[in-house]
Amino acid sequence: MIQLRNSACGMKRELILTDQPIDESAFLRQRTMSANMGAAVYFLGAVRNQEQGTTISAIEYEAFEKMVAHQFGLLFAEIERRWPVESVRLTHRLGVVKVNEVSLVVEVIAPHRAEAFAACQWLIDEMKRVIPIWKKALAT
Amino acid sequence: MQITIQFFSYLKELTGCAQSSETLAAGATLGALHDRLLEQFPRLAPMRKSILLAVGVDYQSRDYVLQDGDEVSLFPPVQGG
Repeated sequence: MIQLRNSACGMKRELILTDQPIDESAFLRQRTMSANMGAAVYFLGAVRNQEQGTTISAIEYEAFEKMVAHQFGLLFAEIERRWPVESVRLTHRLGVVKVNEVSLVVEVIAPHRAEAFAACQWLIDEMKRVIPIWKKALAT
Repeated sequence: MQITIQFFSYLKELTGCAQSSETLAAGATLGALHDRLLEQFPRLAPMRKSILLAVGVDYQSRDYVLQDGDEVSLFPPVQGG
């Protein structure tokens, strides 16, 4: 499990890789927003019961954790450069995640919804392009 | 020079190992190492163009010049989320 937090200056960043179920309520409760922030965008990714046309029961996620942490650091730095985002928090499950369980939660906080949506969409798109996490479908 | 190699995801199954090492001449490139590994592990050959290459925690191109002690990682396209 990896937990990285950085809020000493600039954009607040939090990355958690965990083999434990994601507590969505706790994730929401931990939100902190400054008075001049008006938008918090959330994304939850859940495991579907279909993978490439086959019915599955779970997905097993594997990560090159050290590189995941570094590459997310680069993505967070790019978000800070491109948008006026106050905070990004992301938790990704590793190991076996059953169908319907949440594998990913992301929170992006910004002054307005446009930049919050844009930064969140960009982060997830880039994650799927460069973050070294792989999945293996487990049959029913 | 000595280079450590890590395989991830289904590349571990195709090579039969998670880690390997190679001794290369000074000045060898990442591309040269990649070619050598494809010869050594022919089951990787169909993924020649899709395999991603990293040195340490950064992606690198085939013309990257390796240094003694580098840790090279080979893995298939990523699939997070």
